[in-house]
Amino acid sequence: MVTVDGLKPKAVEKPKTAEELAGCLSEASRAGQAVIPIGGGRALGMGDPPARFDLALVTTGLDRIVEVSPEDLTATVQAGVTLEALQAELGKARQFLPLDPFASPGHTIGGLLATAWSGPLRQRYGTPREFLVGLQVALPDGRLARSGGKVVKNVSGYDLNKLHFGALGSLGVITEASFKVFPRPLFEETVEASEPQLTDAWREARRALDLKLPPVALELVREPDRHRLVARFAGSEDGVRRMVRELVWAPVGEADFWQQHSRRRAGRWLRVAVPPEALRDVLQSLPEAASWWAHPGVGVVHWVDFESAQVAAVRAAAEDAGGSAVLLAAPSALKSELGAWGRQPATIDLMRRVKRAFDPAGTLSPGRYLV
Amino acid sequence: MGLGPRTLEKLCRAVGRDHVVWDAYDLVIFERDASIAGALPDAIVYPANVEEVAAVLEIAAEQQLPVVPRGAGTGLSGGAVTLRGGLALSLARLRRIIEIDPKRRTALVEPGVVNYDLGLEAARHGLFYAPDPSSQKACTIGGNAAENSGGPHCLYYGVTTNHILGMEVVLSDGSVHWVGGEDPDRPGLDLLGLLVGSEGTLAVTTKLLVKLLPTPEAVSTLMAAFPSIESASKAVSDVIGHGIVPAALEMMDKVTIGAVEAHYKAGYPTSAGAVLLVEVDGLTESARELTAAIEQILETDDAFEIRVAEDPAERELLWAGRKGAIGALGHIKPNYYLHDGVVPRTKLPEVLRDVGRIGEHYRLPVANVFHAGDGNLHPNILFDLREKGIMKKVEKAGEEMLRACIDAGGTLSGEHGIGLEKNAFMPWIFGPDDLAAMQAVKDVLDPSGRLNPGKIFPPAGQIEPKLIARSGVASEARWW
Repeated sequence: MVTVDGLKPKAVEKPKTAEELAGCLSEASRAGQAVIPIGGGRALGMGDPPARFDLALVTTGLDRIVEVSPEDLTATVQAGVTLEALQAELGKARQFLPLDPFASPGHTIGGLLATAWSGPLRQRYGTPREFLVGLQVALPDGRLARSGGKVVKNVSGYDLNKLHFGALGSLGVITEASFKVFPRPLFEETVEASEPQLTDAWREARRALDLKLPPVALELVREPDRHRLVARFAGSEDGVRRMVRELVWAPVGEADFWQQHSRRRAGRWLRVAVPPEALRDVLQSLPEAASWWAHPGVGVVHWVDFESAQVAAVRAAAEDAGGSAVLLAAPSALKSELGAWGRQPATIDLMRRVKRAFDPAGTLSPGRYLV
Repeated sequence: MGLGPRTLEKLCRAVGRDHVVWDAYDLVIFERDASIAGALPDAIVYPANVEEVAAVLEIAAEQQLPVVPRGAGTGLSGGAVTLRGGLALSLARLRRIIEIDPKRRTALVEPGVVNYDLGLEAARHGLFYAPDPSSQKACTIGGNAAENSGGPHCLYYGVTTNHILGMEVVLSDGSVHWVGGEDPDRPGLDLLGLLVGSEGTLAVTTKLLVKLLPTPEAVSTLMAAFPSIESASKAVSDVIGHGIVPAALEMMDKVTIGAVEAHYKAGYPTSAGAVLLVEVDGLTESARELTAAIEQILETDDAFEIRVAEDPAERELLWAGRKGAIGALGHIKPNYYLHDGVVPRTKLPEVLRDVGRIGEHYRLPVANVFHAGDGNLHPNILFDLREKGIMKKVEKAGEEMLRACIDAGGTLSGEHGIGLEKNAFMPWIFGPDDLAAMQAVKDVLDPSGRLNPGKIFPPAGQIEPKLIARSGVASEARWW
């Protein structure tokens, strides 16, 4: 049974088509119900505890890979397709979606877009915001609205893709998405280094990022006795080998480091995101025994298994540095106490007006998102 | 129209008398942009900073005046045309590069900064700004953001929206907001992503924080000549099919090559049916390895001449031909009408055949010069306006070319915007429900619909899509 913050829905629907899903949604909306869209359920810990929860709208019935066109470097999938299923299909043509979210496997494409979760590869490719080219979204009034298209370059109409990306399904339920996909790199190599002191680890990270070909992923992982740096290089073989030589780190210990890394998850999980230059100060402010991993080139640290009392100070510092600290998972009581999202953005009023235009009855995930 | 003497007086007080223009003779300078449509504003205002922009928008709100923001006026879809009159809001005086931060690799600029000038300034720090529209020596960063502009190097680096971190914007009610920022994963709706590419219909931009990238260690540019467009298109597909995404992958057809060679002597073989310009960058080894791999693919695909630029001067010359191609087409006919449809890359050969057939049917020369790697076509219909009745033919041909792109699974515009040029065609790609969702956003941010009215959305009560002539703004008489 699906629960969100311990709340059970009165009903669960698992539609097989986008039209059916839109129908369920509008019916619930007309009946004044509260609907929470659910994909693979990997990120359900996000958001404040819902104010109400009548209908769980499960998207995993929308499990069709609609179109993969390797020569065009594009792919279109329904929202309930898992990331692994899409990667397997793209892999047949040596292509991939450069997305490696934590708490893998089992994420659905719709869930990943709604939550804006990503992983280490964002260092090079950014989040799906940068390679999502089209969406179909079910709106609370039952309409299915498309934005963007299936081609890699498109400025026709408003870019509503961006508005739905990361909105936690609060404006509509994503039913289908089109992506620009990428060729697999010709050659890859992963190397690592360890430093007892954070300052030294940070200096090494900077050195890696300042290389002429920076790593496509660079992780700084706090382990009990050390700060471990792991860098993934991709490109032409000669070029990658030169970078690895210049960096003088050691070959990575585990052959499947990246896969293991993507499985990280926690019941207490705070994502701190600041301008990259400010990240070092944030890391220094974390408690000595804290458990975390960070993307030094991006400005993000995932802090897990924290003590409740430790969060407020770190969040305030992150916000003062022009960033945020969002709870990706936490006990409901703690989320209620601290708030999942932190300080309201200055443009909250505009965001609320957009929310009202899309979901005037407040059908979608009431109370969970910022708007 | 609320533009009486009292409103003019208020505008003069807001921005200074020297910075308001309303003499009928002077207004003509803002009648047009680089599209083939035109309409006169009632006044032009030149604010100097965000406070003055806000003041102008407040006055316009009081008087219910339309407001059309304008950068350099190089837009190709009529985005800066004051279709319903009102105020042309020039951002030309907001032209400071406020700060370049080489450590953070960002630049904070005002919207009137010219794209190329930002590039020059960034280069002093070993950095560059990636989006490079062909008009980059004139077009502004603010205009680029409004149109979500592209350019040859967007194949690898992405378009404008991928390079803007934050913006200060003024809404039609005069309120000032900052959207986006340097921090990743910002909680809240991505208003920045919505506003970039909204063609001045949702907000006026007054500051932009953009990403800069480190200049690559090596750049390798090669020109390859092919017997036909088909063989060149196949080569494009094969390069990408081999898992290589070059920094740029551009195509020019025979008509364009002839015009370019007459003017620039860029060294494109005039016997070629098509020329490809391919650029790869990155590490020295990667550039070398990729260039060799690409050369091999192109040779297999019937390239009869391949030249790798030996030095920066030769590279510049190869690019000068591409970037100056549209101007060079003036050697053939004095006027051009440039389209911007996108198709899946694999559909390039068939759509280009359609484009050629349409040109022949209407007896109009067509020159193709475009971003082949992205599938972003730029057919230029060449004509001489002094020929009586020519506009009808030009418009009809343009419409059929766009239709061919849509039928191939493509879209109306890859980087020029919809504006007033193609808004009538929006129903070809978006249904009423899609457009209603976009309209809902418009109604939230610009409830009175005064910001750049008549753009993007199809005209109300439209019966059958027709190109710009439907509005009567491109009548031939107005061109002289």
